[in-house]
Formats: sequence, C-alpha cells, structure tokens
Amino acid sequence: MGRWNWRFWAGPAELRKRGVLGINRRNADFVLRANRRALYPRVDDKLLTKQISETRGVPVPATYGVFERYGDVRRFDEWVGERREFVIKPAKGSEGRGIVVIVGRAGADFLTASGERLTVAEARYHLAAILSGLYSLGGQPDSAIVEQRIQRHPAFDSVAVGGTPDVRVVLYRCVPVMAMIRLPTKASRGRANLHQGAVAAGVHLVTGKTSGGVCKNRAVAAHPDTGLPIAGLEIPGWDNLLNAAMELAEALELGYVGVDFVLDAKAGPVVLEANARPGLAIQVANRRGLEPRLELVAAEPEGPISWERRRELASILADLP
Amino acid sequence: MNARKAIFWVVGTLVALGLACVGARVHLRRQMALVPGDSLWRISYTVEFQARKAGARLRLGIPADTPHARVFRERLFHSGLIPARSRPSRAGNRQTDLVAIRPGACSASARFDVHLSPRPLWRPSIPSTPISAEDRAAWLRSTKSIQVEDGRVAAVLGILRREGWRPAELVPRLFDYCQSEIALDVEGPHDAAAVLEAKRGDALGRTRAFVALCRAAKAPARLVVGFDLGNHARSEPRVWAEVLTDHAWEPYDLVDGHARQLPHTFVPVWRNGDEVVRLWDGSGLRTDFAVFRLPPSPGMFRSEVRASPLEILNLTRLPLEMHRVLAVILLLPLGALVTAVFRAVIGVRTFGTFTPALVALSFVYSDWRAGVFVFVLAIGLGLLSRAGLERLKLLMVPRLGFLLTLIVWCVVFSVSLLDYFQLIPSTQAVLLPLVILTMTVERFHVTSEEDGLRFAVQLLAGTMLVAACCYAVLRWDAVGDLLLVFPESHLFTLAAMVLLGRYTGYRLTELWRFRDMVKPVV
Repeated sequence: MGRWNWRFWAGPAELRKRGVLGINRRNADFVLRANRRALYPRVDDKLLTKQISETRGVPVPATYGVFERYGDVRRFDEWVGERREFVIKPAKGSEGRGIVVIVGRAGADFLTASGERLTVAEARYHLAAILSGLYSLGGQPDSAIVEQRIQRHPAFDSVAVGGTPDVRVVLYRCVPVMAMIRLPTKASRGRANLHQGAVAAGVHLVTGKTSGGVCKNRAVAAHPDTGLPIAGLEIPGWDNLLNAAMELAEALELGYVGVDFVLDAKAGPVVLEANARPGLAIQVANRRGLEPRLELVAAEPEGPISWERRRELASILADLP
Repeated sequence: MNARKAIFWVVGTLVALGLACVGARVHLRRQMALVPGDSLWRISYTVEFQARKAGARLRLGIPADTPHARVFRERLFHSGLIPARSRPSRAGNRQTDLVAIRPGACSASARFDVHLSPRPLWRPSIPSTPISAEDRAAWLRSTKSIQVEDGRVAAVLGILRREGWRPAELVPRLFDYCQSEIALDVEGPHDAAAVLEAKRGDALGRTRAFVALCRAAKAPARLVVGFDLGNHARSEPRVWAEVLTDHAWEPYDLVDGHARQLPHTFVPVWRNGDEVVRLWDGSGLRTDFAVFRLPPSPGMFRSEVRASPLEILNLTRLPLEMHRVLAVILLLPLGALVTAVFRAVIGVRTFGTFTPALVALSFVYSDWRAGVFVFVLAIGLGLLSRAGLERLKLLMVPRLGFLLTLIVWCVVFSVSLLDYFQLIPSTQAVLLPLVILTMTVERFHVTSEEDGLRFAVQLLAGTMLVAACCYAVLRWDAVGDLLLVFPESHLFTLAAMVLLGRYTGYRLTELWRFRDMVKPVV
C-alpha cells in the first residue's frame, strides 16, 4: 500500500479504467442533460425543497420560522423567546455556508455548536447578512430559515467530532447509484463539508454499511481526530433513507441529483437538502467510479423506472467494482 | 450519439465559414489595387543616444495626415525606453514620448507607412474657432534664432514695406525677397538676423529669415518640419514656413519656391518647430531617416472617396488611434478562450469567471508593473479594511460601497504615488476594473472565513495565473493586427469554444485529485 500513497497523479487511462467520472463529463452528459434549468430552484431554495419533501411525506427538520424581511429581523429576540436549540440557515446557501447551529443559551447570549458565544445583536446581524444574499448563490437576496436542531444519532458518537454526520445519496433517473457518509472533524469545525476537511466513507447501497474513506481527497481508513476506523459502521434505518431519497428524487423531477440526510436520534433520517450538481468526492469515499453505474442506469429503456427495478438496479450497483 | 453529430456539424460549419470569409477577404484585398497615381511610402527614423539620467525624454514627431497623405500603419520599436504620456502641443502635432529607464545607451526606431494620392483623400474642415490671442502672440514672438526685434530684420522690412499694406499683401513680397535676394548656401548662417545681413543662408536659415520678416510685419508665422516624399533621393527632413492669413495657414517653401500651396508629396511632421526628434537630458543624439516607396501591395486601406457599405466590415478603415483599442477588444475572446482552457482542461479555480481576463485587459492599457503594483496594493489594503469592516457589521450593499470607495482611493493615490517618485515613468492611468476588484476583495474575505485562508490564497493565485496568461495573449500585437484585418477569424474561436464546451475528458487537476482511485481495490 505504501508505494501507492506516494503517487502524485493518476493517468487518464487508469482513471477511465476505474470508471472515474470527471467534472466536465458530469456537467456535459449528466447535469446539463438530466436536469432542466427551470427545476433548479427546487433544490437551490431549501424552503422549496422542504415543502416538496413534506408533500411526499419525506421527513425534514421542523421549521420554526422563516425571516424574509429586515423588519422581521428586528423582532428576532421577541420571536426567539426561550428557545435554546435551533439552526439558522440561508434558504439559498451552498456548501454549508452561513449555517449557525445554536446548542444552548448563556443568559441572553446563544452558544453555537463550535463553542462560541453569539449575542442577540450578532445573531440579528447574521440574519440580515443572510437576507442581503451574502451566502446565496449569485448573491441574490435570500431568506433565512430557523429550524429544528438535529440530535446526533448515538450510532456515530465514535466518529463524528463536534457535529452531525450527514449521508448523501446520488441518484440518476431516481435510481440510487452511490452513497456516502460525511463525518465532521476538528479541521472542518463541526461541519460535514469535505472542502473543509471532513472525512467521508462510502456506504453500501443494500446493507447501509460503511467502507473505504476519504479526507482532503486522500484515501484514509481511520477518523483523523479519534483514530477509530470509519469502515464497518452500519447506518440505522437505511431502507427508510433509501426510499425517502428515491421518493424525493421523483418529486424533484431532477434526473441527476444528490440528496443529503442527517440522522436524528429520534426521527431517524431526515432530508437536509438536495443538490443538482453533487460533487465527485463520493467516488474516492467509495473507492469506486460513478461512470459504469451511470451508464448501466442510462441503458435502461426510456421513461420512468419502476420501484422494483430501481431496488433491483441498486443492489446490482452496490456490488459493481 | 445525436449531440456529438450536432457538435461535429456546428464546428465544421464554423470552420468552413471562417475559411470562406478569410478567403473572400484575402481575395477582395488583392483586388483593391491602388488607384493609378496613388503610392505607398515608408518613412522610418532610427535614433540612438546616451541618456544622462533615468527619465531622459525622447520625443518623436509623427507624420501628420494631410488631404493627400494618410498614415495607415505605424510601428515603434525601442530599447531601454518606456512610452510616456505627453501633453498635446498647441499646434496640434502628434508625437510619441519615450523615457529612459536608466542612464546609458538607448535606441528607438519608428516606421510610418503613408498612402499618398494626388487626389484629396478627404476634405479638411476649416476650423470654426478663431485662433486665440495667446496663440497669435506665440506665433509673432521673437526667439533666439528668429530675432523679430533685431535691427537687421527691421531694416529689411523697412525697405520692403509700403504705406497702407496689410500683412497679407506684404507676405508674398517678403517671400520673393528671401527667394531672390538671399542666396542658398549650405555653409551659410542659420539664424534670421545673420542671414538677412549676409544675404546668404542654408535652407533653415532662409526659412527663419522669412518667418522673422513675417512676424515683424505682424503676420503670424511658424516653421514646419516634414518630409517631401516626391524627392526622396534626399530623405532628410525639410523645413518650410507657414503664414497665417485670414483663416488658414498658407505654406511657403523657400527651397523649391512653392508659395501658398505645396505639392501633394509634402508631409508635415512638426509644426512650430524645426526638429523631427527632440531629446532632453541626453547626449550623442544620432538620427537616421529613410524614405522609400513601398511596393503597391494590397493595402490596409482604401480611398474613402469611393466608400461602399461593405467598408463597414473593414475595421482598418477606422482612425489609426482606434486601432489599438479595437485590436485589444478583438483579442478579448482569446482571453476568454484561455480562461475556458484553464477551467475545463486544466481545472484551475479562480475568483469569478472573467475576473482574470478583465484584470489582464486593464494591465494591457497601462504598464504592467504599474498595474501589478496598484492591484497588489488595492487588494492588500482592501483586505485589511475588509477585516476591519467586519466589526461594524454592515449590510452587504453599503459594505461593498464602502469598500469600493476605499479601493477607488487606493487606485488613484497609488497612481499618483508612482508618478511622484517616478518609479515607473509611464503614468498612464491604471484603470483597474474597480467593481471586480471590490468583489474579489469581498469574496477573498468570505472564502478565507468560510473555507480557510489556504483555499482563498489558492483561488487568488489561480486568478493571477490565469490573468498573467490572458495578459500574454492580449499583449500579442501581431495577432491583434491580424484580427483587425480579419475579424472573421473569430469564427475559429467560436468553433474552439464549442469543442471546449463539449470536452468531457478529465481536467488535469483531477488526475491529482483522484490519484487514490487507482489503488488496487481493497
């Protein structure tokens, strides 16, 4: 194994042989073809994603409130009352930007998940910054969602440091093609964001068991903070999660989509957001390429794919090299 | 693969169309032979000198357009020098100023291609504004070599003047006197008073004598230096005089005796002066001039008299001053192409899609060193003040406005600073894209907060790298000139864009990113 770790790059032929999907091909052949531009707001606006999820009975974190005008922001402290735990997030944010998790109170101040104190004025400023579009795609005016804070499922206590892991399922034509779990680290400051140093592991599409592992684009086997192995964990409620992902992909009408879940201690998997251009690190997490999987699904006859066939395909894809 | 077929057709059509258009233009240009009687000429200067200090200034006069002669191409080469901005002169001369970077040997050469026609190529408009009293006084003034107030000038004028004559009536008489009574002697004196006394002088001296007499008779007059393309056996610049009558300057040539009108072959370079090349703070000036006729090749111009609507497609018809701007604009798509290659093939990430190309564009218009200096200063100070602004908790748009104001200050004062210390002699305004700069500062700050400083610096480095490559492309004069002549070659650029837009191979950075994927399956 040591010899491989020193490789600085892979040849294009080798990557092709391993079925690795590149960004250009993902955009040109999958994102641009399978996802109609008009449907993007459904995933770019988390409020809309939530509404669509609710109509299909897909569980989402409970919404406490939505701030759409600066006038509402002024009444934030009135509104918040005695609430001790909640999450503030921009409706059109990307890559986890602008999300603040409040885990408790210290007098009038709030305590964030990363252990900082936030005064009411700072919280108001953050809400106003969200409304002004600081975190939104393209900087358009945005609204801020305040919602239920997810309680981390105890199954991940050993491998999630300072935050909540999330599970991503990538679906093509409503068939789950790959899944991964992202675990926060100290480097990622409690966020399950791979850019910022979170680790990820592949998830078997049938059993929901983790395997492989990636951190900062490098293959890893253990959590960098705890040193515990990240392979071999079992995600609770996997079948529900997979069904919810397929249900949501169908409702969103996006052909190529990534659905992100968090696992709540009580409610099980709930949908956080969906993404019309899911990243490619999932391949490194699984140590497997997306290309043969996507091509297999693409070979299905045109038109919607039945639920039975989707499950059948998922189990074939799960064990594809 | 239907889409692949469509791409193939689109690219094929674009390339074929491009070839056809370029071919058609080449053919048309061949047919645009010169009108009989017209000719093409090249005037070239070669200049060498020793700069005594950095900042020594060399001024080259540029041949002026006359109704019969039009400069259609100009080229400047120099070493040890930098182009500098110069004030427009009162007489409306065109000039190029070059400034020495350091003391020592400097050289420059310039080349002007002129289209000469016996028929007027355009009609000069009569200036509607009367000449100001200040200007009139300047053209009546006594100078070291045109001693208007000298007794010897007054004596000659006393002989020639008749009671009640207006200056305009006197001028032809003064001209006749200088022509017939003052002998042409190459060895003779050069200044007006001495020439009038000795009754002999060289070409310059005789002309000065004439100008002095005119000025003494209260007729505004000036010297003009230029070239006579008709008599190119002697390619030295020659001097003639111009006298202001009621509403126009009338030329008087004392060498060949042309009065009130010159042959169409005369091309003025510098009005109100007798030197084509001037030097400050330097020594050992050696100038070499050459005038020769160019073969009647397909020109980059066409007589405007017979302009057809097809001329709209001919960008070289536009005034010379616009050529550089047009060439840079035409190069911009190539900048976009560079950006696309970096994005899709290499995978370099930048702040904003076209930020690098626009930054590079602003560097092209000014000296790149000045550009980089101002850019780094603006980004640096912008980031510092952005970090300070964080405490004020301002809303986004006012915050951006605040930053923009600071960056505007930063840009104008750093240009002023450069000018004050003469660090970079060219003080062309560095017109950086201010709004883009502001957004870059804002995004750098947000990115470093959200994704870490390392990632933000990576993005900035990527932006600078792509900007440097765009700069290299935008600076490419030869290609710019080619695009000016053949703007339709951008059909090939479009074809390249379509191909790049359908490039589905790996990005170079992905070979690194996915390197762990080629481990044996665990």
